[in-house]
Amino acid sequence: MSEYEIIDHEHDVVVVGAGGAGLRATLGMVSGGLKTACITKVFPTRSHTVAAQGGIGAALNNMGENDSWQFHMYDTIKGSDWLGDQDAIEYMCKEAIPSVTELENFGVPFSRTDDGEVYQRPFGGHTLDYGKKMARRACAAADRTGHAILHTLYQQCLKHQAEFFVEYIALDLLMDDNGSCVGVLALCMEDGKIHRFRGHQTVLATGGYGRVYFSCTSAHTCTGDGNAMVLRAGLPLQDMEFVQFHPTGVYGAGVLITEGSRGEGGYLTNSEGERFMERYAPTAKDLASRDVVSRSMTIEINEGRGVGPNKDHIFMHLEHIDPATLHMRLPGISETAKIFCGVDVTKEPIPVLPTVHYNMGGIPTNYHGEVVTRKGNDQNAVVSGLMAIGEAACVSVHGANRLGTNSLLDIVVFGRAAAQRALKTVQKGSSHAPLSKSVTDKILARLDKMRHANGDVSVGEIRNSMQNAMQKHAAVFRSNSSMSEGVKKVDTIASSLDGVGIKDRSMIFNTDLVEALELENLMQQAIVTIKSAEQRKESRGAHSHEDFPERDDKEWMKHTIMWLNNKMQTKVDYRDVHLNTLTNEVASVPPAARVY
Amino acid sequence: MAEFALPKHSKVVKGIDYPLDTDSTNTRKVNVYRWSPDDDENPRLDSYTIDLDKCGPMVLDALIKIKQEIDSSLTFRRSCREGICGSCSMNIDGTNTLACLKSIEDIEGEINIYPLPHMEVVKDLVPDLSKAYEQLTSIKPWLQSNSNPEEGKSRKQTPNQREKIDGLWECVLCFSCSTSCPSYWWNGDKYLGPAVLLQAYRWIADSRDENTNERLDDLEDSFKLYRCHTIMNCTKTCPKGLNPAKAIGEIKKLQLERK
Amino acid sequence: MNSVKSPALGHWKLQRISALAMIPLVMWFIPSLLFSLLGNYADALVWFQSPFNTTGLFLLFITLFFHASLGLQVVIEDYVHNEGLKIASIILIKLLSILLGVLSLLCVLKIYLS
Repeated sequence: MSEYEIIDHEHDVVVVGAGGAGLRATLGMVSGGLKTACITKVFPTRSHTVAAQGGIGAALNNMGENDSWQFHMYDTIKGSDWLGDQDAIEYMCKEAIPSVTELENFGVPFSRTDDGEVYQRPFGGHTLDYGKKMARRACAAADRTGHAILHTLYQQCLKHQAEFFVEYIALDLLMDDNGSCVGVLALCMEDGKIHRFRGHQTVLATGGYGRVYFSCTSAHTCTGDGNAMVLRAGLPLQDMEFVQFHPTGVYGAGVLITEGSRGEGGYLTNSEGERFMERYAPTAKDLASRDVVSRSMTIEINEGRGVGPNKDHIFMHLEHIDPATLHMRLPGISETAKIFCGVDVTKEPIPVLPTVHYNMGGIPTNYHGEVVTRKGNDQNAVVSGLMAIGEAACVSVHGANRLGTNSLLDIVVFGRAAAQRALKTVQKGSSHAPLSKSVTDKILARLDKMRHANGDVSVGEIRNSMQNAMQKHAAVFRSNSSMSEGVKKVDTIASSLDGVGIKDRSMIFNTDLVEALELENLMQQAIVTIKSAEQRKESRGAHSHEDFPERDDKEWMKHTIMWLNNKMQTKVDYRDVHLNTLTNEVASVPPAARVY
Repeated sequence: MAEFALPKHSKVVKGIDYPLDTDSTNTRKVNVYRWSPDDDENPRLDSYTIDLDKCGPMVLDALIKIKQEIDSSLTFRRSCREGICGSCSMNIDGTNTLACLKSIEDIEGEINIYPLPHMEVVKDLVPDLSKAYEQLTSIKPWLQSNSNPEEGKSRKQTPNQREKIDGLWECVLCFSCSTSCPSYWWNGDKYLGPAVLLQAYRWIADSRDENTNERLDDLEDSFKLYRCHTIMNCTKTCPKGLNPAKAIGEIKKLQLERK
Repeated sequence: MNSVKSPALGHWKLQRISALAMIPLVMWFIPSLLFSLLGNYADALVWFQSPFNTTGLFLLFITLFFHASLGLQVVIEDYVHNEGLKIASIILIKLLSILLGVLSLLCVLKIYLS
């Protein structure tokens, strides 16, 4: 592969991805004195964390409600439909408080209460006193909290002179003969050179893969590259069947309207003008957790009570809220509604539809961010040299359904945890063992094949078929017949990748090539997602199985882990859910019926 | 001296015409600037005719449709498609804006798309923004404070103090404003430009930041700050409706007041 | 708050002050030009020999050339990127402004004394 010029870099740690998780990890590592490279395929502030709107959950108790992290932990476990690991959830909810305070200290422009404290608003599934009433726990910067946090973390990284490699696309992990990760190979888009990054820890912070679906709130760049690299490294992904549908994506455009809009008093209605959530969730109503609201909306539409000429969507109302409040608390979504559906939120409802939003599944890790796999009876075998954080990871704190505000929290808490862990485990400046040339060659062969792909199906066509198949067969409601049809379809579409062709042969900023590589990544995750879904014979959280409408704790309270080989064949196994807590400060929450 | 002769690769020639074989009457011609450093050719303007009945409402939808269905080598940056990531800034119909927020309906006649003006072009619609990013770093865009908040506590800020940074922190760093400013065109190496000055003022205006004086000292330079001649293109073009010109005015006012 | 010493703010401030000063001066001069100076020679001479008008003209010309030299310096800084040429042009502009300014003042003085 002499055609490619390879540039070598040696660091203590290599972080892949510069969203909230990647930046928080990079910041912690750099400020702790580790030589860290942060590789990112888009400029850091363009990462999709920037689009998070509503808030970040932490029981700061600024609204004087006697909130506590124990309530937050209970809500998260209940939200996860008891698939979340309780030790990790305890860690996250407890660390939420110092982590968010730290963000304020870094300079995040949070909205404020009259006392000058960080403003907190109600959010779906967040309650006080174990479900008795809704809590105000989401720390918000208007309705642009993700933007505020991402920019601030980037600013802090600049302050600490972190080393960024911007517009580099990671190709594959460098795995040595012992199955340890020793770095990553990346392509610099600007000049087409190959960069080999060696690190004692490689941290994958590559985000979710919402783009396997046709209609999603995710950015075009959300292609789960890290997840796919893990699959190609012979490691499994966990709980991939759990895909969150956000209740309020704008009908048509798919862009997000924050749950914070319901937190500020917004509500949903059907074609009869009924506030139907009162029927499905008598206490939480429109602020039930997302899987519940999305399912309820889908039932309303399926039963003929959708709005619009085709009766295929639902209205969300904000027009009863004081325009001054809308201006102060929800300026971003007021603008979004105007631009993407021509709606003046002070006068008319917004047409919305459940839209793919978040992947609860991902790379299995422990609460330090270290990647784990199952080796025989060892369900928690740490993969040496590899960490994963953020949406790419499955710690698992979100289980079968994530609560709103817990994604921003996840990235900050576990980005921070990964940095703390790396500072403990990595010896600064220690040397790197030589790596066999064949490791790099194998990766470059894959790149080279794609770069010269001259089949007659375009990336766009294959991507479209994949997205449509996933949209249809791995939707809000799933059934045996629909999913087995979906598996067949996705397999066929995946094999059509052999016939893909790209037109751009240049090495300079070749987005045609990058999109083809991303498509391959998406495809591998699509296979694992639909096959994980097909084999789970119960309904839990975001996985609603029409043939098995009940949760089955006896048989299925376990994490799915799935491998994919290079012939696109899958292998499934399971890991136990950690029902134990991390400390004695709190009791484990036993499974119970989930009523909002 | 100002250059009066055009530098190499400045003249845009007519490019390839991609007609559309359709019965649809709702079509539109999209002319897109194309240039690649791989050969020594001049840039060209390729024309793609697309069926608007089968296309999303925004200019970015049109570009994605072209890339997906007609010419996959067309190169541009994009990510969030909802106006918050700032990736798809370009010159559309004569003004700098975000392609994802620019409605096709708002453009009369053919749609002309060029990269952001007066920046080095990497390829097609992708400008090299590295200088602008360096300028951003140069103003130390992070909270500077000598007094540490109480351990484990947030800094306090009243809603009124917080309101002072509204319209400043929301910037998405798309650099539509800086690249619309003639003063930035002529002196982009020394003048910080509206985007970066807006960020500078964001920290000056933040009640939690304690280094206002040093920040103002750093900006008091005939090029960094005073190349702003109040042309107002920045404010006019900002796709997020922010007002960088006002922020620059505020900085000048503070410079005057502290004498 | 006190700032470090830099000519930038001073330049910007003086340009604005001189511009403001020009407003009343020009508002006085233009009507004078129309009503008193476009008539016959003798009337014009009378106008020029008024101490009030001569003082006004002094102020006008000083402000005008001062403002012009500040403004032209900005234009040169905007467009001339060769450092040597830029400094040379700015010095030339300053000298020319002083030269023309002194010349105009002498002319006004000469008419006044004639």
